[in-house]
Amino acid sequence: MLKDITIGQYFPLNSVIHRLDPRIKLLYTFVFIITIVLTNNFVSLALCIAVALAVTFISKVPLKTVVKGLKPILFVIIITSLLQIIYVKTGVPLISFWKIRITSGGLLEAVFLTFRISFLIVMSTMLTYTTSPTSMTNGLDRTFAPLTKLGIDFNIVTMIMTIALRFIPTLIDEVDKIISAQKSRGANFESGNIFKRAKMLIPLFVPLLFNATRRAYELAYAMTCRCYNGGKGKTTMNTLKFKKGDWAALLLTVAFVAGVIFLNIKFGEYNAQFTFNLAV
Amino acid sequence: MSLLQTENLSYIYGEGTPFCVTALDKVNIEIEKGEIVAVIGHTGSGKSTLMQQLNGLLKPTSGRVLIDGEDIRSSKAKTLETRFRVGLCFQYPEYQLFENTVYEDIAFGPKNMGLTEAEVDKRVRDAAKYVGIPEVAFKTHPFDLSGGEKRRVAIAGVISMEPEVLILDEPTSGLDPKGREQILSLIKNYRDRTGKTVVIVSHSMNDVAKIASKVIVMYNSKVLMTGTVDEVFEQSEKLTEIGLSVPQITEVFAKLHAKGYPVSEKVYTVEQAYLEIKRVLTGGEANA
Repeated sequence: MLKDITIGQYFPLNSVIHRLDPRIKLLYTFVFIITIVLTNNFVSLALCIAVALAVTFISKVPLKTVVKGLKPILFVIIITSLLQIIYVKTGVPLISFWKIRITSGGLLEAVFLTFRISFLIVMSTMLTYTTSPTSMTNGLDRTFAPLTKLGIDFNIVTMIMTIALRFIPTLIDEVDKIISAQKSRGANFESGNIFKRAKMLIPLFVPLLFNATRRAYELAYAMTCRCYNGGKGKTTMNTLKFKKGDWAALLLTVAFVAGVIFLNIKFGEYNAQFTFNLAV
Repeated sequence: MSLLQTENLSYIYGEGTPFCVTALDKVNIEIEKGEIVAVIGHTGSGKSTLMQQLNGLLKPTSGRVLIDGEDIRSSKAKTLETRFRVGLCFQYPEYQLFENTVYEDIAFGPKNMGLTEAEVDKRVRDAAKYVGIPEVAFKTHPFDLSGGEKRRVAIAGVISMEPEVLILDEPTSGLDPKGREQILSLIKNYRDRTGKTVVIVSHSMNDVAKIASKVIVMYNSKVLMTGTVDEVFEQSEKLTEIGLSVPQITEVFAKLHAKGYPVSEKVYTVEQAYLEIKRVLTGGEANA
């Protein structure tokens, strides 16, 4: 169950995507997220999906793992879809019972949102799957370096973000260990009513919080011992340089955005009635 | 029939991912009633995984774990029953304390077993006595205790369930010499007084020699040797080869022996060393 949480995990493989400059990966992920939110019809959404699938395929990360990463947000997807189905009243009415009227528009909207959210998550997990924490920090540092001139010390922000990402797997392991230990003492996390289950969270979270705080202190001491002072004027051993592949990726990103904008305009906001007729 | 037994037990972590690791590879061990079994091996040799298999926390990839000859996974009820019969105390157990008082924390296990309040109370007091926690400390917050004390409270939390087999994963790691001594003597005490089985994972050959009646050596996810303390520590070369060692006192006696002193090489604890030196000095007969 906990092993399904893959957010922030790095998947060490050797692929073109893995070798890309972290700055370009940050850029295209950011651009992709904005673009997929701005899609307004199924054709441009299809382009986004195709791009996300292409990136997944090139990165060599198994599709199974990527799909598994969606499991934790399944609940969110189901709830949003249900809300769409219930509240969107456009299109042809299909079924109506009690106070609920399900229309073709609602169904389509639900499908649209499901794909949109899923691939938004797929693309964001692809970022951490293909970028090692070190290179992620480097990328973030360099991307936001100009802000330092404005007097904002972005080094600290990237450090916080990196540490947070880095600790997700550690804390998951910790939770697993605590669950095992409490199970060994007969704790039952899997059955019982909601109140019993809520009560079972105490033996889980008290040690977890306690240990997390302890770890935070230890890490802070360790960093202080190694003269960490906020990273002002920090230099890096491997300076990032744009290579041919990075320029190509940048071009492709621009082409992708242009493509989506074009498709958005060409097909316009989808008409539920129209799409429904097409589907039937 | 052994109390606890594994049959071709294999376990793979993260099957189907690039992180997949074989932790156990066709492991066959037998644990008899009343034994103190020591499991030794390098970090990553599969000891801890094996321990979690023995009380049904992990599901074998293949093979079986048998308790009294019955598969512990034959039914859900059986697995739960096994968890109470085989008590597992994890490494650094003090990090799993959570209750507001020492008493409550020790009582967590017995309460989960559904015992009556009187029975829970009796068990908490018994367990506390075994680990040397005085009753005046019952109302203390566990986080206010010292490291060694926390460790003993955590062990009491498992002992209070009165398991037939008590498994301790590196119970002395990270403790000072006095703390180690206390833990070891409490384990021995517990075994001697209750006649229950104890399995202990350890990195310290000195500790193992002191208390174990049987030693299992794990190497690369497999069982490399099984035998009495004598049988295992006799093969010091093989142990050194896989990065383990023999007790310090055994090394001393091996060197004395090599230098021509008429002492036996089969000395594994300081007590034995004392008797052996006394024997040589008084000109007694060799008994080994």
